[in-house]
Amino acid sequence: MSDASATMNFARRDAADKLRGRTRYTIDRYLPGMLHAAILRAGVPSGRIARLDLTKAARMPGVRAIVTAADAPGMIGIGIADHPLFARDVIRYDGEPIAAIAADTPMQAQAALAAIDVEIERLPVVLTMAEALAPGAPLVHPDWRNYEVLLEGGARGGNVAWEATVVRGDVDAAFARPDVEIIESCFRVGRQNHVAFEPRAVVASYEDGRFHIETSTQVPWTIRNATARLLGVPASRVRVTVPPVGGGFGLKFDLAIEPFAALLARASGRPVRLVNSREEEMLTCLFRENADIRIRSAVTRDGEIIGREAVVLMDCGAYGGEQIFLTTMTAHTLGGNYSLGAVRLVSRAIYTNTAPNGAFRACNGVYNTFALERHTDEIATRIGMDPLAFRRRNVLGDGDLGATGQVFEGDVLGPMLDRMDTMRNAAAAPPARADGRLYGRATTVGTWFVFVGPSAATVNMNADGTATLVTSGVEIGSGSMMQALPQIVAGTLGLSPDDVIVRSADTDAAGYDVGVGGGRTTVSLGAASLSAAQEVRTKLLKVASEMIEAAPEDLVMRSGRIEIAGAPGSGRLISEVATRAQAQMGPISGTGAFTGAGVSAMPGCVAGHFIDAIDIPVFAVHDCEVAVDTETGQVEVLSYRVVQDVGRALNPRAIRGQIQGGVVQGLGYALHEEVTIGSNGRVCQNGLETYRLPLALDVVPVEINLYEGAPSIGPLGTKGAGEVPILNVAAAVGCAIANATGKAVQELPLTPPRVLELLLDQRPTLCLPHIAETWTENLVRPHGAGGSN
Amino acid sequence: MERRLTDQTESSDAMQAPASRSVYIAPSLPAALDALDEGGAAAAPFAGGTWIMRAPIRHEPLKSLYVAIGKIPELRAIKVDADAVEVGAAVTHAALAATLAELAEFDVLTAAASRSANPAIRTMATIGGNLATTAFAAADCVPALLCLDADVEIASRGGPERTSLERFLTMRSTLAPGRLLHRIIVPRRGRRTVHARLPLRQAGDYPTAIVSLAVSLDEAGHVRTARVAVGSVEPVARRWQRLEHALVGHPLNAAKATDAAAELAGEFTGRDSPDVPAWYRVRVLPALVRRAVAALGSGAVGDEHGH
Amino acid sequence: MNMGIDLTVNGDHLTSTSDPVTPLVDVLREEFHLTGAKPVCREGFCGACMVLIDGDPTPSCLVPAALANGCDIRTVEGLAANGGLNPIQAALEACDAVQCGMCFPGMVVSLTHLVSTRPDATREDIRAALTGNICRCTGYERIIEAALLALATA
Repeated sequence: MSDASATMNFARRDAADKLRGRTRYTIDRYLPGMLHAAILRAGVPSGRIARLDLTKAARMPGVRAIVTAADAPGMIGIGIADHPLFARDVIRYDGEPIAAIAADTPMQAQAALAAIDVEIERLPVVLTMAEALAPGAPLVHPDWRNYEVLLEGGARGGNVAWEATVVRGDVDAAFARPDVEIIESCFRVGRQNHVAFEPRAVVASYEDGRFHIETSTQVPWTIRNATARLLGVPASRVRVTVPPVGGGFGLKFDLAIEPFAALLARASGRPVRLVNSREEEMLTCLFRENADIRIRSAVTRDGEIIGREAVVLMDCGAYGGEQIFLTTMTAHTLGGNYSLGAVRLVSRAIYTNTAPNGAFRACNGVYNTFALERHTDEIATRIGMDPLAFRRRNVLGDGDLGATGQVFEGDVLGPMLDRMDTMRNAAAAPPARADGRLYGRATTVGTWFVFVGPSAATVNMNADGTATLVTSGVEIGSGSMMQALPQIVAGTLGLSPDDVIVRSADTDAAGYDVGVGGGRTTVSLGAASLSAAQEVRTKLLKVASEMIEAAPEDLVMRSGRIEIAGAPGSGRLISEVATRAQAQMGPISGTGAFTGAGVSAMPGCVAGHFIDAIDIPVFAVHDCEVAVDTETGQVEVLSYRVVQDVGRALNPRAIRGQIQGGVVQGLGYALHEEVTIGSNGRVCQNGLETYRLPLALDVVPVEINLYEGAPSIGPLGTKGAGEVPILNVAAAVGCAIANATGKAVQELPLTPPRVLELLLDQRPTLCLPHIAETWTENLVRPHGAGGSN
Repeated sequence: MERRLTDQTESSDAMQAPASRSVYIAPSLPAALDALDEGGAAAAPFAGGTWIMRAPIRHEPLKSLYVAIGKIPELRAIKVDADAVEVGAAVTHAALAATLAELAEFDVLTAAASRSANPAIRTMATIGGNLATTAFAAADCVPALLCLDADVEIASRGGPERTSLERFLTMRSTLAPGRLLHRIIVPRRGRRTVHARLPLRQAGDYPTAIVSLAVSLDEAGHVRTARVAVGSVEPVARRWQRLEHALVGHPLNAAKATDAAAELAGEFTGRDSPDVPAWYRVRVLPALVRRAVAALGSGAVGDEHGH
Repeated sequence: MNMGIDLTVNGDHLTSTSDPVTPLVDVLREEFHLTGAKPVCREGFCGACMVLIDGDPTPSCLVPAALANGCDIRTVEGLAANGGLNPIQAALEACDAVQCGMCFPGMVVSLTHLVSTRPDATREDIRAALTGNICRCTGYERIIEAALLALATA
């Protein structure tokens, strides 16, 4: 239903202002009379608040309001409501908020914080998942049974916040077959900090009995609903608007500091700004979680994967949060890529007394893909098969079953591997290598998905021939709101994308949306926008057909005109038609809505899952070549290639930009970025000196091939393209380093000290005693015993 | 039960000090000394600011008086004589690297000054700050100047005092108020020098370990004198005299020097940090020695292999 | 005794009443409402708060207001005449380099200096010149490409 192509390298409209420093992010907002807030955070990982005395702080100069747990009665969470806004009596992690203060200046707010007197009785602490799962371990949430359950079906118990299982086929029988090799691998990965350059920030005000929250978020509707729940007010009393967001990467996919500012605004009657310091961001950023993984496969000598079982432990920190949901993803990431005989997987979110973890670009996928691909190489080695040949033999193809029994459509990964071969073969031969370093290469595959879910859009056709797109979408930097969405609307209406105005997110103006993340913007918001634009198109064509005296089906919309097909220059300007329509029947608008199709899984396969199958799979093939310095353990990435399944590339240049950026973020995760937690429960890397991000000298230009044409329910055949580029970077780098060194790469990040330990055989083989040998013994409840959701 | 104020992790503003904070921009060395003397323990010199302005992340309070010394002409001067180079304490890394670029015998110092931190920081951070900041173990210029047998001159109202850099490093944390590092005097001995540093990324890091080397050779090509200094491995940079002895009297040979370094590296006790384990800093020393010695042969040393 | 700090910012003569140790970035943003420079790491690693001080790219988080007294300061807001784009800004726009945009004020300041002072800079020179400017979104490639474009068309 489109006459103009939506495909183009349309430039971003926000670039010029961002380049001139004119863009006002949330941290740049300044309202008259605005107060500055600060948060008192706990300095111990586990304890009981014996006394909290605010009297002295309240008398400090400039202080306008102080709020504490008493002001926020609600609890939030995903799956289970386990998370209060402030520590209530009990402190569960270092950095947990205890009180918040608003004062005339930031300095006064800080000074007042220092005047709060807190008495804390220390409680026993569990800092690692091994400690949390030890018999008799102290419970992070002794009252876990009493929490409100928001989604039925997950098994829980003690420090196991949530457990999701997949069982398909008879795995025991597969492992018992005489003709199989059993290959077992263990992996451990650390946390990753998003380091979004704009920290989490909010400006809140309280007007006419409603909260107005301007915030740096990816999820305006989550902020609206979760803030209301914590504060105990109707959600309709909260309005969320979103200025341009200075980086998200998943950090801003959950509620953060918004309710503190909201409470302080209500208490003081003044607008309140709260901005996390970089150190607060480094210590409490809702990291990509650390995880421990054991995977075991039964494979025939000719390379058929008869059975596979795995245990994935995901550290959720002190509160369940995103990890509860992410237990679902293991089925599609660790359980992805390959056609499997029988399979059983358990994914467990574990409470520890550490800062809560959260969402980060290709959540759960990056480390499970690392584990799966390293395991795959170990399988190939064991059965003496070329790792690429093994992958070719087993990658998911048309009609293959996924881990949860969904049927995959189309051969995608196979042809993508062919593309990678072509790219690799076309590359110039590497120069002579006589510098004593070890060289290695790897090609890895990855499976991701588009997190669909509900979106709404309205398109208002203006009489001047422009259209206004109203959604709750947020521009976080990926460009979807600046490029793909206006391109989709413009393509439908025959306009230039420049003539599509994109309204920034406002929960008072646009309908519900899950948020910007999971690669869903172009797909879900795009589908809703397309549908809204199509409604506008239908109405315009009807009016035009009367004006032009031609049937609507004979008309086309292009170049700002509605014309008879095949007769350029005939017909009318769209503005003329819109003006006529406005006069005759009122302004034209259209609405659109979208949600996931709900691809079905095999009954009884899953328990504790939030989704049973993936509506839109997204595949990636990465190839990486490294050189490893044997004296220092330093790894240099020599080349990097990506073949990415994009469905249809609406803006190829923008997608390429996402891939380069996502790969580099993955290189940071694989090689440089390390988070460790000290014995005091605090994250050790409190700034950019010790948390090392890739710099311009550390990266390579990524060679990119966009694979189009794979099936997608996305609008115009699109898939999300911004999330997936990070997916198999750690896998490709890890496998390449293993190939270069001949050592068993089991951990991330592969910092020079860790690689040197491997080279020197000084790194002990990873063992995970907190994962039981027998798969079923890892479950708090047998699969299916509590009924699947 | 523990009764305590919670640790504050909040530090978004450098504004935690008393309201009566001030900065005095000293026009001359005597004026700076007077101000520091009068300010006593409440005052501190302020040169490039790249360390002091990061006090909030270290949770350190700022002083109530800073005496800015960066505009004092004689502290910004570099004097190149036939037998020595004198470097004012407020000379920036960038200025030092530019001035010494053509003097091959100071390759070690040029490299130290031109590769530390990042380009903008090098235009701010001073050589004096590098030497005087006790808590900064990864300073590039300290081992570079140690291997060059540098002296320092400390100014005070009582007059100048000259001492070796080695001795200065032992007394810098207890330097009395009113005493100020004035200049660094580096003798010119025509030696061949090299600076080998190991950042974890390609650049932009503080090095995890540094080996600075200065040698003179006799007519037969044997090492007559050797100075090896090691930085960033321990809390304070120091000479590696046992390795120096091992080098003297032999031709420069990278493989042999590496072996000697591997044998002797046990004398170092690495410092632990959130990003680098202690053992690693010590373990990479032989590699840095090899690179340094090899570069003296080829005339260049990179931060890493093969580039 | 604090008589105010006189600064020339983008050609305007301004006076700050800030505490003298206040980082210049906070004076620019909170007092003068020039919010282009971003205080991202406040340690001189990220470069997002870079401004030109007497022509030199300088992280404004590390400069106490008092030491900027009398200096000529140019922020990202003041790099192009008449609200246009200077050559590096235009090249960055043309290369579709911008994503979230938070690092770009600093990138633009560093690269404006590079383009005007090192006309023969190579790709490697550009990469090295950016070791104090971190970008979390783009993976740098487009930024390097834009710098080369600006140099080629300068």
